[in-house]
Formats: sequence, C-alpha cells, structure tokens
Amino acid sequence: MSCTEWQSRLDAYVDGELPAPEMETFRDHAVNCSHCAAAALALMEMKGALRRAGRRYPASPELRTRVLASTMTTSAGARSRAAKPKAGPSSVLSWPGWVMAAAAVLLLMAGLLFFAKRYTQPAALGEFADLHIATLASANPVEVVSNDRHTVKPWFQGRIPFTFDLPDLQGSPFTLTGGRVAYFHQEPGAHLLFAYQRHLVSAFIFRDTPQLAIHRGSFSNRETSFNLRTWTQDGLRYVLVGDVNAASLRQLADLWQQHPR
Amino acid sequence: MKSANVSHEEFEGLAMPLLDALYNFARWLSRDQAEAEDLVQETFFKGLRGFDSFTPGSDFRAWMFRILRNTFLTSRTGLQAKLTVQLDAEEEGSVGVTWETPESLVLASATREALQSAMDSLPLRYREVILLCDVEEMKYQEIADVLSVPIGTVMSRLARGRKMLRQVLAGERSVFAAAGKSSEPR
Repeated sequence: MSCTEWQSRLDAYVDGELPAPEMETFRDHAVNCSHCAAAALALMEMKGALRRAGRRYPASPELRTRVLASTMTTSAGARSRAAKPKAGPSSVLSWPGWVMAAAAVLLLMAGLLFFAKRYTQPAALGEFADLHIATLASANPVEVVSNDRHTVKPWFQGRIPFTFDLPDLQGSPFTLTGGRVAYFHQEPGAHLLFAYQRHLVSAFIFRDTPQLAIHRGSFSNRETSFNLRTWTQDGLRYVLVGDVNAASLRQLADLWQQHPR
Repeated sequence: MKSANVSHEEFEGLAMPLLDALYNFARWLSRDQAEAEDLVQETFFKGLRGFDSFTPGSDFRAWMFRILRNTFLTSRTGLQAKLTVQLDAEEEGSVGVTWETPESLVLASATREALQSAMDSLPLRYREVILLCDVEEMKYQEIADVLSVPIGTVMSRLARGRKMLRQVLAGERSVFAAAGKSSEPR
C-alpha cells in the first residue's frame, strides 16, 4: 500500500479501528517511511491533547444532587403508583392531557387516603413527607450546598429564630449535602439533606409546638414507602424523612443525639 | 419487566458514573451551563423512565449519550444547530490527512485554550463526533449507535472534523468560508 493510500487510513489507525492484519502492515510500513510515522505520531498527540482539552466541564455538586433527587422522585412515583410532582425538567407542560388528568385523580385519591389515615398517624408527619418529596422534586433542593457542617450551620444564622447542632458524621455512612430554610405552619425552620448511599434523607428542625406534639418516635408510610423518625431535644423538634429503612434512620438519629456539637 | 425498585437502583448504578461525561458532552453541544444541566437532568429522567426498554448487556453508555443527543436536537439550540447543518451537504467518502501543515508544528503552538476554542468553532456535526471519539474514546460502532448513522459516515465526519481543527489551529480561519460552510449561531 502506498503512502497516499495509508493517508486515508491514518485516522482509523490512531483510533485503533484498523483490522489487526492492517495494523501490523502499517507498522511495518512506518518502520521505513518517516513521513507516515511522523504523521501517525502527530495524529496520536493531537488525539491525546484533544482528550485532555475536551474534558472541560465537570458536573457541579448541585447538578449531582438535582439528578439524584429527580431519579429518586421518578422512581418513588413509579413505586407508589401515586402522582407526585415529578422532576421532569421543563417537560411537565408537554405531558399529554390524559396523564395530567390521571395525575389529578391519583392526587385526589392520595388526598382521601391521607385523611383516612390521619387518625392513625399524626397529620404533621405527612406534611413533612410532602415537604421532603417537594424538595427532591425541586430544581434546586438546597440553598447552601456543602458537606461541611461548619459551613451549613452558620448559614442559618439570621435566617431562623434558633440555633441547632449538627451531628459528627465522620466514619458514618451519611454525608451532609446542604440545607435550606423550610416553613411549617408559618414557622421558619431548618431543612437539611443527607446522602446515604444513593438515598437522600431530609432532616427538619423546628421549635417544638403543640401542633408537633407527637408521642411515637418512628413511623413508616406504606403508601409512599417513606420512613420517618422524630424526637425532641432542647425544645426543638427533629424529624427525619427518607426512603431508607427504619434502622438507618435510627442510626442517623442516634448520631445526632449522642454526639451533639 | 423489572420491578421499579430494582430497576431504579440498577439504573442509578449504571448512570451516575456517566454524569460528568454526559454533562461535559451536553455543555459542549449547547454551550450553555443552565441548558446543559437541564439536558442532563432530562436525559436521566428519560433514561430511568425508559430503562425497561434497555436491553441488558448492550451498550448503556451509548444508549444514554443517544438520549442526551436526541434531547438536545429537539431543544431550541439543537434545532438551530440542526437547521444550519442541513444547509451543509453531507460529505461522504474519506478525507485523507492533508500534508500542507505539519501536525507537529500545529500542535506545538496549540495551547489547551486554543484547542478548546478550535473545537468550539466546529459545526455541531464535527464537534460531536470528535468529542465522542477523542474525548469519550468511543469505538466507531458506539459512535454510530449514538448518532444513528452508518460507520462510514462516522469515519468521514471524523476525518473532516480533524482536518478542520488542524486548519483552524494553523490559523486558516477562512476554512469554513472557503469550504462553503456557515458556522452555527452562537
């Protein structure tokens, strides 16, 4: 094969796409042809330089959180066959009418179920589960993005009318991903998000009020497959919500109660 | 049919490691951070929703990149780019390496920024094939799957795209005009 013929195959050679016998033949040719050898080498260098230059935009931690949250919400919606506000970015409006109608019917049914269950489960806890789902569906689930509790805790100064402690998570399977201000019955409080494996857990902290007087500490909601855990500490009501199992929620609650900082 | 729970975990296990690569590709295609983030989120949403139709054992990476690219092509920016590209007739057949500019000289003076701006100046059709081949290091067959074109088209676009890159880097910025191309609207 002549140099001119090889020229048209150099791209395939440097991409490792020539059939094995042709790869060999080219190598034999290149031993005696400095022109082709130099061209192949230059193409390889160019390929390497492009690879390095092309990896230009890493995904931000915010996007990672958004994507995780939206896949979780999509999946939770599929599991419970209930219509949650899914995180289909900018696509909700393009859903066909029958989907929206079905969603409305399911929401109504979910609402009826909610009222049917309110005598067995404090209504307040259902609202925390709703807050959790709505946050995961949001494009920006957290307002302060950090895994450093010494960044997240001070962020709440001046935003909520109390202060709270965050657990030391070193060596535990949980990581803090950030926080936001949440409102419950017109009362501002802290909403923190923790990652556990590929799950996200919400922690809500509010000043304890009579509406929040809950006697049992742990609940699970079979309709949405969410678990909840709650306790009070120093006049504050803590509520954990997530689709992790009850034992994992207890582990996070224990970390919080045992190692307050 | 996989159960929703299992397929969700499986999907995340396969898809999350691709997040950086998908975002990088989306950003190069759309040239806009917010748009790229929306594209990625929508890709994950569509991927999870359609995961039941994914054949286990087949190429998941190519599948996700294809979803992302198709989503991009139906976006406003994508439609604009596609319209522009359609004006430029597909050039089939191989385009050999041209020897007028020694690559070593071109590269010696090419900084990372110069390479990035040269890549950015390429029309979508050539930019995407170079990204998939040189940045994502996909095989030709994988690229053909992502772009839904024959392998021969992948090869000719690659050769042409690389030639344009070399020419841009060598300072021949009239390349698009000379070849009758119009660059995409930014």
